[in-house]
Amino acid sequence: MIERKTIESAMYEAVKLAATRMPPDVLAALRRALDEETDPLARRHLEVSLDNAASAERGEGLVCADTGFPLFFVTAGAGTQLEGGFGSLWPAARAATARATAEAFLRPTMVDPLSRANPGDNVGPGMPKVELRFDGQGAGLEIVACPKGGGSEIFGTFYRMLFPSDGEAGILKFALDSIREGCYAGKICPPAIVGVGVGGTADLCMKLAKEAALLRPVGSVNPHPAAAALEAKLFAACRALGVGPMGARGVNAVMAVHVATAVTHTAALPVAVNAQCMVGRRWKAVVSADNLVRYSGDFQ
Amino acid sequence: MSALLTDLRLPLSEETARGLALGQMVTVSGLMFTGRSRFHIRAIQDNVLPPIRFDEINAFFHVGPVMRQVGGEWQVVSCEPTSSIRFERYGPDVVRRLKLRALLGKTTMGPGTAKALAEVGGVHLSKIGLCGNALARRIKKVHAGYFVEELGKTEATWVFEVERFGPFFVDMDARGANYFEDLDRAARERMAEQLERLGVPRDYAWTSVSGEGCEAQ
Repeated sequence: MIERKTIESAMYEAVKLAATRMPPDVLAALRRALDEETDPLARRHLEVSLDNAASAERGEGLVCADTGFPLFFVTAGAGTQLEGGFGSLWPAARAATARATAEAFLRPTMVDPLSRANPGDNVGPGMPKVELRFDGQGAGLEIVACPKGGGSEIFGTFYRMLFPSDGEAGILKFALDSIREGCYAGKICPPAIVGVGVGGTADLCMKLAKEAALLRPVGSVNPHPAAAALEAKLFAACRALGVGPMGARGVNAVMAVHVATAVTHTAALPVAVNAQCMVGRRWKAVVSADNLVRYSGDFQ
Repeated sequence: MSALLTDLRLPLSEETARGLALGQMVTVSGLMFTGRSRFHIRAIQDNVLPPIRFDEINAFFHVGPVMRQVGGEWQVVSCEPTSSIRFERYGPDVVRRLKLRALLGKTTMGPGTAKALAEVGGVHLSKIGLCGNALARRIKKVHAGYFVEELGKTEATWVFEVERFGPFFVDMDARGANYFEDLDRAARERMAEQLERLGVPRDYAWTSVSGEGCEAQ
């Protein structure tokens, strides 16, 4: 039985780590990008960002001050038992988020959409958002904290319902134009990790895109050959736009393009794009059935 | 690393602003005030402004800093510039009304603000990389916080005294030009070329199902 206090503290620690440490795969991708860029401004964007990540790791601030939307992705096994049942994940996420906000690891950013009132703790209807899935394995719990920055979510979210006759051409045009628009003047904070969802319903399509951007190891390849081919085409095209870090002249508009698919209606071809910014903020807490917690930034 | 860059004294003079070139990297020293969407909306729709002498503090930093109160003193944990382009609806009016010479933020702004900056003699300075921690260390003092209770710490207006704050680059000069204009034009052309290479012709259109103006397929 995993205790409520274990869940809450694992969520809090994962948020704190995500806010202050850049994941190793993201860091490696940014260093590769720096090796490649030649434009002085593009290089400076990356050098400053890497310095910023190093200072956050030393306890001098955050990897980025826009800690954005508090998201948690939780995976449970068939044998997982939680104190208070699975419903206790939500109050635990709220308590962890409020504590991380009070301690200035998260900026109080969540507001009511109509009144714009800010409760000051990032907690309100729908937030923090907890996505729970069951993978059928074991009795533990995997919690990924993803405080998702505003730039990537606000300027990097695109959806369109295409039709079967629009074909791959339609997908390529939609995805590439979305990425170009998102990268304009550095809106989504390139080099971005771009998720492209194809298929499903509108909400599932966006969820595919979001999870492809946030949770997959940077540059991982979709196991399905058709999706992998689409990833390769889009990645190469993004690198040829002449746009680099923070929208400056360069090559690395994206670190990776991850495509995810779901079956869809025979009349439909829904496509969604969701971007993750260059900090790729995410950290994992792996909780065992006997309440031991291991933290990891490694998503390989 | 910012020691080699031109440091601009605040309040910025019209002459200095008009002498800045697109792409130039700079730092700034002096007093600045902060604000985001709520500042713009309230200033123009509701005529609510913080009690600041805008002739003495003419640099507007677009940011929602992460603030912490220690022993009654406000400290800046981190302050990542926010996307100025969101403020384009009211940006030109705010620039004209407050005669702002320096906007500091992320991304850029649109043609309306470009025109206002050219009239007033002001520039937009865009951040370089993720710089919130380094910028926070360049804030020497938090002089004031306005509307903190009402708007919360993120949307409040803070007055910061900064020293060699940056680096930033000039993305909008005082002649109405924008650093990203040519770059985006080239990116659109390259995108069309890439799509052609992938078998998507320039006149390709998605199936339209919206009636009026529906394109034939």
